[in-house]
Amino acid sequence: MLEVNAIDTYRGPAHILSGVSLRVDKKEVVCLVGRNGAGKTTTIESIMGFLPVRAGQILFHDEDVTGLPPHERAKRGIGYSPEDCGVFPDLSVSENLMISRWLGDEVAKRRNGGQRVDPDAQAFSLFPEVQSLLQRQGLHLSGGQRKMVAIARAMMLSPSLLLLDEAFEGLAPVVVNRFAEAVTKIKAMGVSILMAESHLGAATRIGDRLYAIDRGEIIFHGSPREALADEKVMKALRG
Amino acid sequence: MTIFIIQLLNSFFYAAVLFLIAAGLSLIYGVMRIVNLAHGSLYALGAYVSAWVVGGTVGHAASGTLGLAGLLLLLPVGAVAVAVVGAVIEPTLLRPLYRRPEEYHLLITFGLLMILEDAMKFLFGGTPLTAGSIMDHMGSIPIGRLLYPTYNLFVIAIGLIAALGLWWIIYRTKFGVILRATSQDRRMAAALGLNVSRVYVQAFAIGCFMAGLGGAVVVPAQAAVLGMGIEALILAFVVVVIGGLGSLEGALVGALIVGLVRTAGIQFFPEIELAVLYLIAMAVLLIRPTGLFGRA
Repeated sequence: MLEVNAIDTYRGPAHILSGVSLRVDKKEVVCLVGRNGAGKTTTIESIMGFLPVRAGQILFHDEDVTGLPPHERAKRGIGYSPEDCGVFPDLSVSENLMISRWLGDEVAKRRNGGQRVDPDAQAFSLFPEVQSLLQRQGLHLSGGQRKMVAIARAMMLSPSLLLLDEAFEGLAPVVVNRFAEAVTKIKAMGVSILMAESHLGAATRIGDRLYAIDRGEIIFHGSPREALADEKVMKALRG
Repeated sequence: MTIFIIQLLNSFFYAAVLFLIAAGLSLIYGVMRIVNLAHGSLYALGAYVSAWVVGGTVGHAASGTLGLAGLLLLLPVGAVAVAVVGAVIEPTLLRPLYRRPEEYHLLITFGLLMILEDAMKFLFGGTPLTAGSIMDHMGSIPIGRLLYPTYNLFVIAIGLIAALGLWWIIYRTKFGVILRATSQDRRMAAALGLNVSRVYVQAFAIGCFMAGLGGAVVVPAQAAVLGMGIEALILAFVVVVIGGLGSLEGALVGALIVGLVRTAGIQFFPEIELAVLYLIAMAVLLIRPTGLFGRA
């Protein structure tokens, strides 16, 4: 479904990613683990199209999307929830969700005459409490609520791939369980997930496969069990 | 009492024109974070085009058949022309500079101001142009013992309709949600599938349309002259400094304050009328730097 082939990405003059390759298959949860500053967010942003890729290629459903702007990638079915959630502060939660629902409808119309799974039912089944927040402004949401809205909003697109950047960061342990359940539900809906995660514990719990990144290079690829047993990965994550 | 009502109407007339200009300036800044120094020249261009079209039609033999309604319908041609100019300027001159620091935006829009001023001098010459025939056609209404131009009331109504229309577009339509989302976080808007470049062209064209409309409605009352754009730009800045750059409510309240103070100034302290306005702007900047309705 998603193939990232040896990409090089810069932020301004700084060379951040070198030769990063990864793959996400259908109905799969893949975690990209690494310390802060290792290149996780840069990888996610390169896949979403925010940062230009200087070398390499990104394929989505076998189509080369390397040169496409972010909105075209979203239209092809890539949902995104950034580290800071990206909830529009002056828009109500309802308006925040509305935007991706419009796009989802538009994409569904183009693909199969407008037929798609009810996006509201799908998004609210993950986090029913979002329904009680619909009239609240984005500005007045708590950190956990913002993360819920961001994921629900990305799901309104009816994506086939969801990019989650630090979805568990800053959440209380009880809430982390809710988010882990949500990830499992999203996978059951047939949506693949690529998660950037700093904590190996959460990643090994929910990931089918893991990539470890350090200083802009992929240093490990394998199952969660293999990652936990790999000294190099543990060392890179501990610093 | 009659004088007071007339002065109040004068200030509303003035505020309506200023609101049209400042709302466009504020809309462009709110969505694109660009301080458009060429905004005053776009207002002047709207004034020139409308005066030229209406004046040209009146001078033509067929104008008799047009009547007042026909002339009023011709008036917004200037605003449409300026919107088209805006739709060309944004992708060609501004888009390459969005990632650059703000001083580049100021430089390019200042350069544009100079180009537009010269272009107007070249196209329309140094002679003032007017669409005064509309004002003559509309006549006057009695207020107390005096007569007041009906056209001024028409402009006040246009200002009110524009304020309500803009509010409705921004807060009650799908396009408004898209506009607000893009203004708050362009990256996230793009990640949700919005074509930010297209939203920018539309927002800039609407902002330019507002400036052009300000110019179009003013020419039946005042002639289009060279330099009118600079004066309007300065006053529009006073409006947005008071009201808050990027805020529609701020543009409305700021325009009303400037309109009222200026009218009172002309009546009671004509020598320092502009200085009083700048003092108010300075006081707002010191006490509330983001303006009355602006956000940090």
